[in-house]
Amino acid sequence: MEIVVCVKPIPEAETRLRVGADGTTFDAEGVKFVLAGYDESAVEQALLLKEAIPGSRVHVISAGPSPRTDEVLRASVALGCDLATCVDLSSANSAADPIAIARALASALATVPHDLVLCGKQAGDDEAGLVAPALGELLGVPDFGYVVDLRWDAARKLLKFQRWGESGLELWEAPTPCVIGLQQAWNDPRTAKLPAILKSRKAPIARAAPPAGPTSPSSRPERFELPPPRLGARLIEYKTPQEAAEKLVKLLREEAKVFP
Amino acid sequence: MPDFALTSEQESLRDMARKFARTEMAPHAAECDRAGRFPEEIYRKAYDLGLMNLNVPSDYGGSGLSLFDQCLIVEELAYGCGGMTTSIIANCLALEPILLAGTPEQRTRVLSPFCASYQLAAFCLTEPSGGSDAGNLRTRARRDGDHYVLTGEKCFITNAPHASLYTVFATGDPNLRHKGISAFMVPRSAEGLTPGKDEEKMGHRASSTSTVRFDGVRVPASDRLGAEGDGFSIAMRTLDQTRTPIGALATGIAQAALDHAARYSLKRETFGKPISEHQAIQIKLANMAQSVRAARLLTWFSAWTIDSGHKGTLESSIAKCFASDAALHVADEAIQTFGGYGYMKEYPVEKLLRDAKLTQIYEGANEIQRTVIARELLRDYA
Ligand SMILES: Cc1cc2nc3c(=O)[nH]c(=O)nc-3n(C[C@H](O)[C@H](O)[C@H](O)COP(=O)(O)OP(=O)(O)OC[C@H]3O[C@@H](n4cnc5c(N)ncnc54)[C@H](O)[C@@H]3O)c2cc1C
Repeated sequence: MEIVVCVKPIPEAETRLRVGADGTTFDAEGVKFVLAGYDESAVEQALLLKEAIPGSRVHVISAGPSPRTDEVLRASVALGCDLATCVDLSSANSAADPIAIARALASALATVPHDLVLCGKQAGDDEAGLVAPALGELLGVPDFGYVVDLRWDAARKLLKFQRWGESGLELWEAPTPCVIGLQQAWNDPRTAKLPAILKSRKAPIARAAPPAGPTSPSSRPERFELPPPRLGARLIEYKTPQEAAEKLVKLLREEAKVFP
Repeated sequence: MPDFALTSEQESLRDMARKFARTEMAPHAAECDRAGRFPEEIYRKAYDLGLMNLNVPSDYGGSGLSLFDQCLIVEELAYGCGGMTTSIIANCLALEPILLAGTPEQRTRVLSPFCASYQLAAFCLTEPSGGSDAGNLRTRARRDGDHYVLTGEKCFITNAPHASLYTVFATGDPNLRHKGISAFMVPRSAEGLTPGKDEEKMGHRASSTSTVRFDGVRVPASDRLGAEGDGFSIAMRTLDQTRTPIGALATGIAQAALDHAARYSLKRETFGKPISEHQAIQIKLANMAQSVRAARLLTWFSAWTIDSGHKGTLESSIAKCFASDAALHVADEAIQTFGGYGYMKEYPVEKLLRDAKLTQIYEGANEIQRTVIARELLRDYA
């Protein structure tokens, strides 16, 4: 099976983000980019399928400004992906929105064989959750989100998986090709081994040109602002839960004035 | 121009070791310290990820890293747990004599199968009669045809109870002092080789340390490393390689102590403000940060010197000695920053002091390092 995983470089979780000079982006200077957590689960899922289905290959693709894309592509190769492609959007509009990213990925997929396209269901930075469904639309194939535990039924040539929906756990079957957005942290993503990390530094990364045509995004952020500093918490001293509730209600009424 | 920036390859190695140290080692550090437990499952994972035989070339199944890259990894691991790190890097110490003095045939025969699975090795130099005066060792290697017969006892040997391979230093004639010493590779299965019981230690309690007895152990001459009488030089050249990572190990402990102290100082309030706003605490933190940075830079400089093809005796002694003294000092100041809480086992900093202490003692006590530093230094003035 030809499995493609689309991955996004996002700022490391502990990063202290600064708003960029233009006020609509964050300042990437000195920021370390890593594989998004959802994407780690997607890569892990791809590798599990590869191990289960003889003759499979995993091709990892990232669209965005290089070199941050290359870092997450190499990280994916170190984990066991076979091929890597970067759709370099360095020169394109840096404020590429999720739809523009999906377009870039779809244009790269035109020349990349794919029976199955896996994505994180959203990314850990903007949490937009749009790329996977947009990609399904652009490729004209079914797409599914919130998926966990994807398996291949070789006899019936169907994918079987679970979805966490509003009503609980749903069991699904789907034909290939399709696009699947995966949940985070349900499959305990593996850690790359040291020799694989060293080898991945020398792995070739194919370059795909960004799609021709209008580059202006269909949406753009108006303004970035850091959240206001927290004002600090106030602890209520109490001996019984009842006393705690009474003191809390009094404060809400008299100081915060949220109740009359 | 000198460049202190790490390459992206080095960053990814460091990040991987950091993740392992913080998610796999650190959560078990306190429990292993309390119980004196040897966490074999963690060492197996370290092996699986390629964090164990760092200095062995990849041709023989190791990770084949430069000394600099080894130091980046060792510092991160020690941040997670100093004791576990001692056990993880003991293989580097024990295998270095084979890398330095083994013939290609010996390396292929011994290193390749050793590195192909999770196994531990032990470096057997120190004896009850003395560690610093290694030229004075008493374990005998009597030649008997195409064999040697080893008799004697080693002490304080890291990983000895769990090892499958021992590199052993023994003398053909104690009157010859260092010139009489030879080095051997001895498998655990050799008859007459008996590791003792685990010592109860002050720190590094996740590591395992014991005596090793040799009661007429027969070793084929083909398992001698180098020529007869080369043993002392092999041991010293080994320590020239492995001292620098001890500097890195000490730096990792010191960084952990600084991080704990700085975070605590922002939260703990006295006299109506966080203690981080008292100048006395600020000065402590500033001094600790200087020590950590200086320890790291001296370690990096030593590793760079040796990777550039120099012997680096002076640089590695300075790095090991300075970083281990720094670790003790920084851990001490971290406890002081925590006040009474720092003295309690419930908090993580008193362990750091106990762990830091060993780095001043093993792989050449700091008194010996200072002797070496002075000797190398004075040569330039004579
Ligand atoms: C936990 C642990 C793990 C160890 N692991 C290993 C291992 O894997 N393999 C191994 O071979 N050894 C190992 N050692 C041994 C360690 O290397 C020795 O303890 C160390 O070299 C010091 O030797 P010693 O203990 O005999 O002290 P001594 O040599 O008796 O020294 C006692 C004191 O005198 C000082 N001193 C000695 N000679 C001089 C001098 N000429 N001038 C000034 N001061 C001097 C020393 O610095 C020290 O302060 C380990 C030790 C410990 C505690």
